[in-house]
Amino acid sequence: MEILHIENLTFTYPKTKKPAVENIDLKINSGEFTVICGQSGCGKTTLLKLLKKELAPSGEKSGKIFYGGVLQEEIPDKTSASEIGYVLQNPDSQIVTDKVWHELAFGLENLGMPTEVIRRRVGEMASYFGIQDMFRKKTDELSGGQKQLLNLASVMVMQPKILILDEPTSRLDPIAAADFISTLQKLNRELGLTVIIAEHRLEEVFPIADKAVVMDGGRIIADGAPREIGGKLSEINKEHPMFFGLPSAVRIYNALGIEDNCPLTVREGRDFLEKHFSPEAETEMPTEYVHSETVAVEMKNIWFRYEKDLPDILRGTSLKVYGGEIYCILGGNGAGKTTALNVISGLDKAYRGKIIINGKQIKDYKGNSLYRKLLALLPQEPQTVFIKDSVREDLSDMLEILEIPKAEREKKIAEISQKLGITELLDKHPYDLSGGEQQKCAIAKILMSEPKILLLDEPTKGLDAFSKLNLKTLLCGLKQEGLTIIMVTHDVEFAGETADRCALFFDGEILSADIPERFFSENNFYTTASNRMARGLWKYAVTCGQVVEKCKKSKESKGEAR
Amino acid sequence: MKAFSDYHPLVLLVYFLSILIVAMFVNNPVIGIFALIGGILFCAMLSKRSETAGNLGFYIPLFFMVAITNPLFSHNGVTPLFFLNGNPVTAEAFAYGIAIAVTVTGVMMWCKCYSAVMTSDKFLYLFGKAIPKLSLVLSMALRFIPMFKRQMHKVSRAQKSMGLYSSKSFIDKIKSTMRVFMAMLSWSLENSIETSASMKARGYGLKGRTNFSLFRFYPRDGILLSVCAVLLGVTVAGIITGDTAFYYYPRISELTLTPFSVTVYTAFGILSFLPFMIEVKEALKWKYCISKI
Repeated sequence: MEILHIENLTFTYPKTKKPAVENIDLKINSGEFTVICGQSGCGKTTLLKLLKKELAPSGEKSGKIFYGGVLQEEIPDKTSASEIGYVLQNPDSQIVTDKVWHELAFGLENLGMPTEVIRRRVGEMASYFGIQDMFRKKTDELSGGQKQLLNLASVMVMQPKILILDEPTSRLDPIAAADFISTLQKLNRELGLTVIIAEHRLEEVFPIADKAVVMDGGRIIADGAPREIGGKLSEINKEHPMFFGLPSAVRIYNALGIEDNCPLTVREGRDFLEKHFSPEAETEMPTEYVHSETVAVEMKNIWFRYEKDLPDILRGTSLKVYGGEIYCILGGNGAGKTTALNVISGLDKAYRGKIIINGKQIKDYKGNSLYRKLLALLPQEPQTVFIKDSVREDLSDMLEILEIPKAEREKKIAEISQKLGITELLDKHPYDLSGGEQQKCAIAKILMSEPKILLLDEPTKGLDAFSKLNLKTLLCGLKQEGLTIIMVTHDVEFAGETADRCALFFDGEILSADIPERFFSENNFYTTASNRMARGLWKYAVTCGQVVEKCKKSKESKGEAR
Repeated sequence: MKAFSDYHPLVLLVYFLSILIVAMFVNNPVIGIFALIGGILFCAMLSKRSETAGNLGFYIPLFFMVAITNPLFSHNGVTPLFFLNGNPVTAEAFAYGIAIAVTVTGVMMWCKCYSAVMTSDKFLYLFGKAIPKLSLVLSMALRFIPMFKRQMHKVSRAQKSMGLYSSKSFIDKIKSTMRVFMAMLSWSLENSIETSASMKARGYGLKGRTNFSLFRFYPRDGILLSVCAVLLGVTVAGIITGDTAFYYYPRISELTLTPFSVTVYTAFGILSFLPFMIEVKEALKWKYCISKI
C-alpha cells in the first residue's frame, strides 16, 4: 500500500532564487525502508522537513504531498503529530525534559492521553528498547548513543506509521551508530514501520534498505533498489562526490566495471572478489616506512586520572611521534583516547611520567608559550572553537590575541582562507555552516597560531564522505608543509587512508604502532571493510584504492600469462 | 534510608507543613523538645554517618549561640541571677533563650529533612497541577542547565588550548570568561531551535495536554495521611483550648499536666517521631527478612 506520495514538489527558501528541492516525485510504500543519500547541502534535510508539516520551513512551495491518500494540509494536527515521527540529528538538543520517563511521556502528554494509557505505553516502549534500567535516570547522565535511542523511543511511543530520520547517527561513534541502525532495522522488520532515513554513512544502511534515493542539487538523480543503484552509478557519473560515501563493496565494484551483480555487504564483496580474482602467488610486502629523525611528541610512562578516587585512565602510556608524520590513535569508546590527547596538549596534567614536546618537557613551557607557534588542538566539536558572529571576526579575533598588528590581519586571513578554500564562508555565522565547512573554518582558526604540531580529536565525526576526502587532502597538504599531526579517531577507513602510522589505544596503553597496511592486516575485526573483503587475496590491501589497484594489476598479469 | 520518602508527595508535604508550623509557632517546651528530638532522629537516619561530625560541629555551637544571645539583650523577667554592666540577667530570659534555641535548631533540622525528602520532581508534581506550564518549564530548565554547563566547559577548554585562558592575569581571565559566555548565548539560541522543532514534531501545542507522573496514591499513603490528620487535629485542639499554653515572662509558668494536655503532648510526640519510627520499622523488617534468608 502506498503511504506517502510526493508529486512534483518544489520548494524555495525566502530571499533565494534557486529552489532547495526541485520537481520531486516519489512514492513510498508502507513498510519500506528508504535511504536518502547525497552530499551535504543537496536538499535532503529540506525534503524531509517538508514531509512533516509541523517542521516545514517557510518559503515558496508548489506540488503536493499525500499521506495515506490525504493531502498533507488536510491531515488533522493530532494525526500528523502522532503518525509521522521525526528524529533529528543532534541527540542532545532534541531532549526536552530532565528525566528519561518524562521524555518518553512528553509526546503522549501533548496528545492528551490519560495517565493510565501513558503508563502502559511508556512501559511497553521502554521494555522493547531495553532502556528500562535508565527509566528513572536523568537524561543528562546518558551517553550520546543512549540519548539518540531515547529520542527514537520517545517518538515511537506515539505509535507512528512513518518514521523520518535526518542523519540520526552522524554525532554517534561507530558502535553506537551500528546499534542505532540495527534498532531501526528491527522496528522495520518486526513492526512493519515505514522508515525514511537520510544518511551519509552508508556502509550499514545501504545493504538493509529496500530503496535508495540519490539526490543532487535538490533533485532526485536516481531512485530504486540499492543493488540496482549501486550497479547503475558508474553510468551516471563516476567522479560524483556522493560515491565516496557508498559502501566499499559498491565502490570497488564500480571502479572495476566487471559485469556481475553489484555486491553490497562485506560478505558479498569478498565472494565477488574471490570469484573474479585469484590470490597473489607471493605476498607483496608493503614498502618500508621511513620516518624523520626528529621526535615531535614523546610520552614516557604517563599516568593520569581525573580525580583522586577515580580509576586511572592512562596507565603508563608511552608514545613517540616523529616530526612531519600523521599519527593516528584508534580505539574503542571511552578508552581514554581523548584524554591522552588532552594530556599531550597540556589541558590535563599527568601525575606521573614525562611529556616531551619538541625536545623540551611540557612543564617547562610557561604561560601561553606552548600554544604559540607550537601546538594546537582541534576539539571534538569544532563548534566550540567559535565565539564570534562570523568566521572573519573569529579569525581576526584570534590574530588580535596573537598580537599581530591590524594592518597584517586582513592579509593573513585572505591567505589562509584561500589555502583552505573558505573565502566564501568568511562572512557567514559559524553555526550556519555544515559540519565539513565548520571543521575547515575551525582548522583555519587554529592554524592562525602557526602550530608545528596539530592535535585532532575525532576530526571525521559528522562529516559526509566528500568532506572527509577534502579533510584528507587538507591534512596531507599540511603534512607536506612539515606539520606533525596526531589524531584520535574511530574511523578506521579514514585512518587507513590518511595515516602514516596507526596505533591501538586499549586499557590506558598504546599498543602496536605501525604503518596502516601492517596494522590493519594484523587485526581481524578492527580493520577496514576493504581489508576484510580482500585479505584472503591480498593481505596488505587496506583501502578501496589499494584493492582496486591490486585487482587491476592481477588482471594485467593474467592477461600477460595468456 | 528512604522508607518515609517513598510516600506520596502530598502526604509528605502535609506532614512537613504541620510539623514546621506547630514547631515554629507554639511556645511550649514539651512540644519544642519533641520537635527537636524527632528532627534530630530523622535527620540522623537520612544523613550519612560521615556527615554526623560536621553536623554536630555546626548545630551545637549554633544552639548555644542562640541560647546565650537572648539573656544578654533581653532583661525581662523577675528573677535576676546576676548583673552585667548594671543590667540584670534573668532566669526567665535564660529559659526563653534555650526555648528559642530548641525551636530554631528543631526547625532547621526539619528543613534539612525536607530538602532531602522533597526532591524537585515531587515539588513539581504537586504544583505542576495548579500551573501545568510551570512544571514543564522547570523540567526543561533542569534539563538545560547541566547541558549549558557542560558546553561552557567544553568551549572554555577549546579556547584555552588556543592560548586564550592560559595567561595568569586576572583581568585577562575575566575578559576570556565574558567572551565565552557571550558565545554561549548564541549557542543556547541555536540549541533551542532544535529543541523547539523536536517539541513541535511531537505535538506540543495541541489542545488538551495532560500531565503524567510516576507518583501513585497507595492505600498506605491514605493511612499515613489520616494518622497525620488525627494527630495534628489533637495538637491543634490543645493549642486552641489553651491547655498547652506556656509563658516565660514575667515569670515562667508551670506545665499543667491534665489528662487532656498529656494526650496532646503524646499526639504531637507521635507525630514528630513518625518518620523515625517508619524508618526503624523498615530497617528492622529488612534485617529480619535478610536473616531469614
